Amino acid sequence: MPSTRHAYEHVSSIYFPIAIGVFAALGLILAYLLIAGALRRRPGGRSEAMKVEMPYAALLACVVGFLLFTTYRAEGSIDRPVARPGLRLRVTAAQWSWRFEYPNGVTVTAVSTWRPPLAYVPTGTEVEVLGRSLDVIHGFWIPRLRFMRQLLPEMSTRFDLLFSEPGRYEGVCAVYCGLRHDEMHFAIEAVSPQEFSRWLASGGRHT
Amino acid sequence: MSTAALPARETPLRLLASTDHKRIALSACALSLLFFAAGGVLALVMRTQLAADGGVVSQDTYNELFTMHGSTMIYLFVVPIALAVGLYVVPLQVGATAVAGPRAALAGLWLFASGGVVMWSGFLSTSGAAKASWWGFDPLSDSVHSPGSGMELWIVGVALVTLGQLIWAGCVLLTALRRRAPGMTLMRMPVFTWTMVATCLLTVFAFPALVLAMALLWAQRHFGGVFVGGIGAVDYQDLFWFYGHPVVYVMFFPFVGMVGEVLATFSSRRFFGYSAFVVAVLAFSGLSMTVWAHHMFTMGSAVTSNEYFALTSTLLIVPAGIEYFDFFGTIWRGSLRFTTAFLFALGFVLQFLIGGLTGVIVASPPLDYHLNMSYFVVAHFHYTIFAGGAFGLFGGIYYWFPKVTGVLLREGLGKLHFLLMAIGTNLTFFPMFILGAEGMTRRIAAYPASTGWMGLNQLETAGAFTIALSAAVFAFNVVLSLRSRRAAGPDPWAAQTLEWATSSPPPPHNFDSLPPIRSYAPLLDLRQAREAQTSTAEVAA
Repeated sequence: MPSTRHAYEHVSSIYFPIAIGVFAALGLILAYLLIAGALRRRPGGRSEAMKVEMPYAALLACVVGFLLFTTYRAEGSIDRPVARPGLRLRVTAAQWSWRFEYPNGVTVTAVSTWRPPLAYVPTGTEVEVLGRSLDVIHGFWIPRLRFMRQLLPEMSTRFDLLFSEPGRYEGVCAVYCGLRHDEMHFAIEAVSPQEFSRWLASGGRHT
Repeated sequence: MSTAALPARETPLRLLASTDHKRIALSACALSLLFFAAGGVLALVMRTQLAADGGVVSQDTYNELFTMHGSTMIYLFVVPIALAVGLYVVPLQVGATAVAGPRAALAGLWLFASGGVVMWSGFLSTSGAAKASWWGFDPLSDSVHSPGSGMELWIVGVALVTLGQLIWAGCVLLTALRRRAPGMTLMRMPVFTWTMVATCLLTVFAFPALVLAMALLWAQRHFGGVFVGGIGAVDYQDLFWFYGHPVVYVMFFPFVGMVGEVLATFSSRRFFGYSAFVVAVLAFSGLSMTVWAHHMFTMGSAVTSNEYFALTSTLLIVPAGIEYFDFFGTIWRGSLRFTTAFLFALGFVLQFLIGGLTGVIVASPPLDYHLNMSYFVVAHFHYTIFAGGAFGLFGGIYYWFPKVTGVLLREGLGKLHFLLMAIGTNLTFFPMFILGAEGMTRRIAAYPASTGWMGLNQLETAGAFTIALSAAVFAFNVVLSLRSRRAAGPDPWAAQTLEWATSSPPPPHNFDSLPPIRSYAPLLDLRQAREAQTSTAEVAA
């Protein structure tokens, strides 16, 4: 099961080199045209070339097809719901903090403005997130996972996340949500499944 | 013509009550440029805040600043000035004596001016100006989360300016469709006029959605029950982006047209691939009505149809690719003259390319899930609207300024303006791609010091002040050129379209006589016919 980060890296390893290549190629062609055009005294050439433009448009359509093929495959791997997630996590956003609830009733919230909530998840396990907001739209963004999802008021949004590597995953509200939007941080600590079970059984005390 | 009396001295009232499309457009351009300066000042304060470790302004003020910066630049600068240039140039390019619906066009000016003043008057209210971003998303913009009159004034202001823009688009569209001179068939309309037709079609179809959204938002604030819960929030965004994506192309097509005219004129050559270009622009505008929900990818496939909107958005590569092909084809085998207008047009071509290519990137949902609300997107749309649009606009300004005023701008100062603006633009916006991919969120008044983002942010701030300096050079150029005047004559550039076949500035009735119109470049036809005659005469001699 590939992670969101894996999907992002796969697609970007195709899109970014193409974009840079197109820019470099057109830049070089333009430089040549400008030098040649600066030296030319009399303009010439034809002003229509449909026989070139039509195959060129078809070529562009093929590029579109290739890009979409890459995108659709990766998007399927992110958006298709997992049949048996290893953990169901409820995330609630409200101006300007987060709450994480585990199936056994353990709840993680912010200690104070300066101590954002720190939630634990097991590594290598599919985590099903059920997210919602209590007021305005918020954005649940974990840059290290290359993934953001908007949380809407009074409506559940579900998505799956995979934390492949242990360690700290910083999170932030990505959708502007009012006065203290920039302070709306959270963090997720990915630990081994054994350690996670101990943490959960201890009622969510920090180890 | 020589017996005609000198025009009466301009008074402010005469200028603001005239139904001459050129006066209306000139007032609108001047007003838009004032709003550009005001929105730019807001950006400088924001950039100062982000270069220092916060602390220049409060969070609350910062939220007002970015809301009003975005609102000003889009509602009060780029869109109105794009339409205003169309209002000035399109009647001339199609050989019309006046715009269709001159009184309506004047009403548009008044709606635009009053809407802008209403929106900015929010700064005078006790709760400050609007602070719900230029989107005004529900529920953040409802009376619970955004109390106070700043938000109310923003809603009314946006509705007024949008109505004004809608009227202008109708006037320009009708002029191109119904007021063309004899011989000016649809497929002989200049490139800029065609892009304005596409622009106005988009405006006429998409802008009513924003007026409606504003009316509903106002009702939501006062009576409630319009946008309810999560699905209500989605409804507002569907309405807003149904306006909000087409408007991106309203801020693109006119500049494509300006750049097309400038490239053709200064390549001393007919615009290349005209018929393919016209088809591409029309297909582009049709397609761009169907891409709006790519702004909503991160709501998830349960709410939007991500595959569909990724398809339509990525397909834009085809018409955009044809437009670029035609730009390159125009320069190809041309004899180039590197005027300021030509440099700005080249700046558009290269820098918009960065905006367009990164647009393909964020049109892919797996990439957009990460980049959607980050500084990467901020960089992307500033490359399209500013590094693209504003460069195209200045290309158009340097190109048409002699026509509008009768005097030439200084080329040396113009090239300095271009150089500073190109350096400043790339310094400001390129680092944003990196910061966004690293996880810097939009619309934040401060970021943790531990992120290590301060260095690049300071670079961006230096860039922003370089842009401000370039704008000052431009303002100085305009003042100097108007004071110590160098007469331009009717056609200083050896241009190709009808606006150059009349005096500079044109008389109130636009034309005393028109040349024959046999193609989309009637003045080039005349020159070529004359050259052919001379060479035949030489052969005969």
